[in-house]
Amino acid sequence: MTRSKQALILNVLTYTAAVVVVLLMAFPLYGLFLTSLQPESVIRSRDMQFFPDSIYLEHFREVLRPGHIVPIREGMWNSLILSMTTALVCLVAALPAAYAFSRLRLPGRRIILGTLVSVYFLPTTLFLIPMFVLFVSWNINDTFLSLVLAYSGFILPFEIWVLKAFIDKLPLEVEDAARVDGCTDLQVMLKIVLPMVRPGILAGFVFAFILSWIEFLTPLIFTADLKITTVALGLFRSTIDIKIGQQAAAAVLTLLPVAVLMLVFQNLITRVLLTGDEN
Amino acid sequence: MMAPALVIVLAIYLYPAIFTMVLSFSHFDIVRLRLDRFAGLDNYLDLFSNPAFLNATLRTVYFGCLIALSATILGFLIALLLDRKFYGRAIVRVVVVLPWAVPPVVSGVLWGQMFHADIGFVNAVLERLGLIDRYQIWLGDGWTALHVIAVAEIWKAIPFTVLFILAGLQSLPRHVFESAAVDGASIGQSFRDMLLPLMMPILIPLALVQFVWAMKAFDTIFVLTRGGPAGGTTTLNYFVYNEAFQAFDLGSASAAAYVLLLVTLCVVLLISVLRRFVVPIQ
Repeated sequence: MTRSKQALILNVLTYTAAVVVVLLMAFPLYGLFLTSLQPESVIRSRDMQFFPDSIYLEHFREVLRPGHIVPIREGMWNSLILSMTTALVCLVAALPAAYAFSRLRLPGRRIILGTLVSVYFLPTTLFLIPMFVLFVSWNINDTFLSLVLAYSGFILPFEIWVLKAFIDKLPLEVEDAARVDGCTDLQVMLKIVLPMVRPGILAGFVFAFILSWIEFLTPLIFTADLKITTVALGLFRSTIDIKIGQQAAAAVLTLLPVAVLMLVFQNLITRVLLTGDEN
Repeated sequence: MMAPALVIVLAIYLYPAIFTMVLSFSHFDIVRLRLDRFAGLDNYLDLFSNPAFLNATLRTVYFGCLIALSATILGFLIALLLDRKFYGRAIVRVVVVLPWAVPPVVSGVLWGQMFHADIGFVNAVLERLGLIDRYQIWLGDGWTALHVIAVAEIWKAIPFTVLFILAGLQSLPRHVFESAAVDGASIGQSFRDMLLPLMMPILIPLALVQFVWAMKAFDTIFVLTRGGPAGGTTTLNYFVYNEAFQAFDLGSASAAAYVLLLVTLCVVLLISVLRRFVVPIQ
């Protein structure tokens, strides 16, 4: 086989593969959006057009109506507050820890950090059983507090790891200079490190927000009395409801904030996750 | 300065881990919320004589391997594609990364609709292509349903594996491949003798991480099948949930959780031995 012939075959293969990959990866999402934008009768008929000629927004209007059987509106609002609170709590707790892990030469700090990060890999059910017992006995089951505590616990190890990666990259000279000029450790952290690590803080906030927003198992267990609902739970309840179009609309609403955040902070997110720990 | 975070993390992890350990060796009174009596190895012995638990364990390992292998191999193939220059590559890349932004619970709902017995697009497409003669009930049988869940998990895992492998591919020494091509090595040869061995240090830990992530799968199982039909999609993680929060047998659940922990820890240790530490979110 000549080299040009080989190149031609390779090109044909490349484009075929590209088309197949796009179809397989995008089709489910396309299907979801399509379903959310078509009337129930069209969805239920078995000859749905893959390229429809009209758009139907009633499902979104329906699920966002207050008091709808699928509590998506309430869930989105609750999740927004929960995720913001959790993201703030995580930042406040993780910043000093990340700074300490990055700068202090403590014996065994790498083992501690390694253990912390490993914990992030473990199934959450392990920790939910005793937390459930504790929260019930403290009478904080089914409250915002219980959810913020649980979320923060699950997200913190990851948050520390992310912030540490950012702090590690800061030049030490500036801090040393500040110390020579008489700054205390606390002042160095607040006045020197904090302003310089702003991209890290942004990344940490976005990560914690997304991770809280998508959390499902924790609220499923801790809101058994149904006093609070989160967006993920609201969506799940739509699977009991029989209207497929509304279920799709609820799913799109759950997905959108995460998708927008991921899109806006795409570079930041991939950079953090793929470069990883430089040590 | 580590104190505030460490206190929270210890409270959320270490204390519960010990508490769960204690629970796994005792009978727990769920009404009065206190330890009833010491049970010794009862909970563990009960589990290991429970066929549902043993099946769930085997199923979990199968499920983990299936997802780890598929996500890594498909990720590798797509990464190889994206490593080539072609028109529209940027678009393909964006499309491939899309599922990353999908919350797991949405992924469950999404694939539930895709594989819906009456209105599912999978049925519609397969029927129009003539591959099936009538609509199938995909979630009606445990073994098939398990694979539907695996599809949902793999679809969500692929963006990370692709980006991770792509970063690895781009760090390879290009000139070695170019000079091999000049020396007459075929594409197959340079793939088998150079690319694959060079990529193994990235592919193996990546597959292990995917295995560990598969152990955490819950949302998709809950939304799609609730562990059914007939327990056919109950993985260990789901088994623990069922024992603890449906049957309220915390002792048994804790023992099962420790078995799951052991399976996971073995793999996590393997990863840290391999010295490639990555923290993905999905």
